[in-house]
Order: sequence, then C-alpha cells, then structure tokens
Amino acid sequence: MAPTADPNRPTKPTAGEGDLTLAGVVRRFGSVAALAGIDLTVRKGELLTILGPSGSGKTTLLKVIAGFESPDEGEVYLGARKVTSAPPAKRDIGMVFQNYALFPHMTVAENIAFPLQMRKIAQADRARRIDDVLRLVDLSGLGERLPRQLSGGQQQRAALARAIVFGPRLLLLDEPFGALDRKLREQMQLEVRRLQRQLGLTALFVTHDQEEALILSDRIAVMDQGRIVQLGTPQEIYRLPVNRFVAGFIGESNLFRARVTDRGEAALENDIRFRLPEGPRPDGAEVGLLLRPERPRLLVNGERADNMFAGTVVEVIYLGETIKYRLRLDPGVELVVRWPFREASQSLRIGDRITVGWDRSDINLVAWS
Amino acid sequence: MTAYTGQMNGVAAGRPGPGRWWRKRRTEALLALAALPAMAFLLVFYLLPMALLLLQSIEDGSLSAYEKALTDSLYVGVLIDTMLIAAYVSIACLLLGYPVAYLMASAPAPWPTVGIVFVLLPFWTSILVRTYGWMVLLGRNGIVNRALLELGVISDPLPLLNNTAGVLIGMVHVLLPYMVFPIYAVMRRVDPGLIAAAEGLGAPGWQIFRRVYFPLTLPGVLAGVTLVYILSIGFFITPALLGGGRVIMIAVLIEVQVRQFLNWGFAGALSAVLLAATLLVYLLLRRVFRSDLQWN
Repeated sequence: MAPTADPNRPTKPTAGEGDLTLAGVVRRFGSVAALAGIDLTVRKGELLTILGPSGSGKTTLLKVIAGFESPDEGEVYLGARKVTSAPPAKRDIGMVFQNYALFPHMTVAENIAFPLQMRKIAQADRARRIDDVLRLVDLSGLGERLPRQLSGGQQQRAALARAIVFGPRLLLLDEPFGALDRKLREQMQLEVRRLQRQLGLTALFVTHDQEEALILSDRIAVMDQGRIVQLGTPQEIYRLPVNRFVAGFIGESNLFRARVTDRGEAALENDIRFRLPEGPRPDGAEVGLLLRPERPRLLVNGERADNMFAGTVVEVIYLGETIKYRLRLDPGVELVVRWPFREASQSLRIGDRITVGWDRSDINLVAWS
Repeated sequence: MTAYTGQMNGVAAGRPGPGRWWRKRRTEALLALAALPAMAFLLVFYLLPMALLLLQSIEDGSLSAYEKALTDSLYVGVLIDTMLIAAYVSIACLLLGYPVAYLMASAPAPWPTVGIVFVLLPFWTSILVRTYGWMVLLGRNGIVNRALLELGVISDPLPLLNNTAGVLIGMVHVLLPYMVFPIYAVMRRVDPGLIAAAEGLGAPGWQIFRRVYFPLTLPGVLAGVTLVYILSIGFFITPALLGGGRVIMIAVLIEVQVRQFLNWGFAGALSAVLLAATLLVYLLLRRVFRSDLQWN
C-alpha cells in the first residue's frame, strides 16, 4: 500500500511514478470541456476503474489515453515516456473493446497473432505465445475457430488474449462486460481480475456500472462533468463519499439535505433532527446526510439508538438474501432500508407500524453542492 | 426470382384453425396472381424465344453447330477474347471503382449522396449516346488526341478507336457504377471499431488496409466483379461501335450470324455457349462468396 497521506485528494502526478500518468489533461469540444483537468496516476500492477455516468467524460478520457483523441492541454505518460501526441499504434496499450472488436475474417489464433505480427515477432515465438495465452484464457483448442463460432464469453476471452499477448504496458478495458448476461458477466469479472493479478498487469477499466467497479477495482476514480471528483479504494468511496454525486452514484443510499445546528444535530425539512457523528462540523452549513440502507436497525423490546423514529412500512421488495423496505417515518420523510432475510423483520408487511433507529456514527456528512 | 416458400410457411406457422389457413391461402393466391403478368411477359418474350433459338441450334438433329462453336479456332478465339476483355474490364473497374467507393463511404455527410448522384449520372443517358460520345472523344482527331498533341505529350495521334483500347474505355465507363455500388454498400457496413482496434493493436495505416479493411470489403468486391464480368461477356453496343468491326466479342458475332448470314442455328449455338459461360462464371464466383466471406 502506498503511504500517501490522503488517497482521496489527487496529488500533482509526476511522470514515471506509475505505469500511466495523466497530468492536467484538458479536452474541449467547442465551449464544453469534456475533460476539465485530469490528474491521475495508475500504479504498477493495480486495477484502477474510471467510473462515471454517460457524459461524465470517461469515454473521452479513454480515447485520450489510447491515442484516438489528443488533449488540448496536459500530458500523457506511459511509464516515463511521454505519449501525448503519439498515435495509438505507437503506444504500448492492449485494449479490450465494448463489443470485443475481434476481426471477423480471422480465426481466434490469427486475431491473437495480429499484434505480434505488427511487432515483427518471429513465427516460432509467436506460435508459442499464442499457445500460452490461449491456455491462460481457457481457449485451448479453439484457436482455429472464427469469432462468430464462439459464445459471447469465449469472444470476450479471445479479445482479452489479443490485448495481453504482446505484453503491453497498460491494459485498457472499455465496458467489456456490457454485452454479457448477468451470470456470465460475474464469472468474467472474476476471471479478468484473477488474470490481472496473476500476470501483474496494470489495468485501467472504464465503466458506468458502480457494482462492477466495487467488485473489480483496487482503486476507483469517480468522474463527473469532466473531473475526477473522488479517487480511492472501493471501501473509501462507498463509506466516505466526498459529495452528494458520489454518494448517490455508488451503492444505494438515503440522502437528506440538512443544515447543521449548534447542538451536534442537523435539521432536515419539517424540522426533523438527526444527531450527527462526533468531529468537526461546520455550524450552519448546508450538508448532505448519507445513511446507507443497511445501517438503520429495527428496534424491538425497547431497544434504543441515537436517532429513533416511528414509521410505517410502505413497500416490501424481496431480493433473495436481503429484503428491501421503503418506510415512511412519521415526521414525513421516506427511508429505504435493507435487512438480512433471517431477522425478525421478515414478517413485516405493508402497513405495519415499526420503530427504526441508527447511531450517530452511521451517518456520513457529504458536501451537498 | 424469389423462391415460393409460402406453402412451407403455412404448414410451419399456421395454427389448426381452418379459417386462418384459408385466409393465408387466399393472400398467397392473390399475390401469385399479381406476379402473373410479369411472368407471362418473361415467358413470351424471353423464355420462349430463347427456347426457339436453342431448338434451332439443334434443328438438323446434330450438334454440329456446337462442335463448330467449340472447336473452330476462330470462334474459340472470339470466346477467349470475350472472356479476356471482360476480365480486363472487371479489373479496370475494380481499380477505378474501389477508391471511388472508399471516398464515398468515408466522406462526411452530404458528400456520399453527391457521389452517388455523380456515379449514377451516366445511367440517365442512353448507352448509345454515351458510346457515340466516346467516338467523338477518342477518334484520330478527337478531343483526347488533339489535347495530347497540343500539350506535346505525344507526337502522333494515339489509336484509341476501332481497337481493344477503345472498347475497354467505353465498357469501363458504362459498367463502373455496377462496381462502385456493391463495394460502397459493403464499405458502409464495415465496423469502424475494427479499424480502431487494428490501430490500437499497433498496425500502421497500410497494414490496417491490407489485413483488415480490404478483407472486410471483399464481399462487395466479389459482388461488383461478378456483376461487371457477367455484363461484360454479353456486351454488344459498345464493342460493336467502338471496336469498329475489329474487336469481335461473342455478342457481336451472334449478331453477325443472324443479320448477315441468317444462320439462326449457329447463332443459337453461340448463344447457348454464351449462356453457359455466364452461368459458369456466376456459379464459380458464388462459390467463392459462399465460403467464409459473408461476415458483415
């Protein structure tokens, strides 16, 4: 683990520090800045995810890194080498595309041979490497098939094999699991993760799927409006989102707009008051209160909590291992909670009266703006 | 020439209800009725005359006409010349048409349409007018020769008319659209993501073309070549006028047999040979098509 002081705050990166370094990258389309100053270092051997909704600039960022777009300002480094204006072919990046982009007129082996041939690798070495990588992605014996003769998952593996066979400095994955059904997607995610770790690949993964990002990443960079708004481990991003956008985008959340009062409380609309966690609080400031759905407890037999409310069950959704409830608290706000299936809560029905509570430490303050 | 598959569909998709079955039947019958005039037209004015011509070729109860057509070095020579000219025309159309199609396929918004109009423009002029136009352009004192002489590029007029060169120029002009459009259609469907992938994997521009783009457009190339080649084999007006009687293609030969020698039997045999050659080429090229070439 890196000994940096605050992993959430991007420090000014220096070239050569990691396998990929972006320094002050800006890309404008007309008057719109698709990338408004990106500083980022992807460390050797880590899998970093660029996570953002569509229109956040993540696709533009991917293109700038791959070399399909040039930044208006800033520099891109692969290792210590400046590649800001190098064409894609001159960068050392293996890419897995959204729809795999396997060449349909070539067999799987020919597809994998392509980057090796472009690098003038000798025939014997080529054959050995293709064999190795096919075994690695579990496609041994399918080298002579055409891509259309493979299943979706197999095509995905072939695309991955093609991207890593030439030992690139960086592996770029552009929403590679989008076309797969849920079960296969999960399987492939784990497999990509295993391969990436096993081979020590430095990988940059671009997705809009927060669940996927949480599962796969060493670190996540959350993008919004052309900026990286938060950079951190999945746990950090989930537990301590820096603002309302990140809190709302990652995971499910109850998010309340409130004003901090001077008694360690926050006042919501309708003059509802939540007790806040200890620590420095800007009195009078407008904040967002984040309460993850798994935090509130069902209070029975006179149990107590820092914050306690009576309410009514409005909706019950079975999700298998957990049940999601929508509650209407008596003061007039709605709350979503998720409780494990085994608990006493399983007998709750719509219209039931309950008491819920949570401790002040269950609440996270996030910037509202 | 769509195969009639209604009956099969009826059986496969039809539910047991007899009313539904009959309604479906009636629609099919009506559709078949609508196609009747065209079928009758083809039967009377195409199939029947052709059958008669073929019958005449074996009228004397022997295959002597065919023997002559396929062994006499004069006629075999014409057949080979025809095939060669068709091949030259196809190659020339491909070399000229592929870049045009590429420009059209890769140009931004209004230009593909403009390109299509320009490629189609000659189609709206009679082939006869166009061929006479070439005679004016290509003659000894034609515009092309005069311009070249003026510019000092040549000292004697080039022989561009009444020879193979003239025939080729005229035929390529007429047939070029048949090459451009199939290729253009396939090019439009090439996934730009594949080109980006090739680039990202380290391929320089010409390798992307050679290894990825061109192979992906091969179906269009084959369609274009098939069309142009088959049309070339049976060409008549252009070789007749621009060849000046010195370039004999098989269609010209057939016309001579009918008009000058009134030798219907032999003309029929030559027609049969032409038809067979056309079918052969078609089947041959289709075989290549059928293999692994349809990936779009």
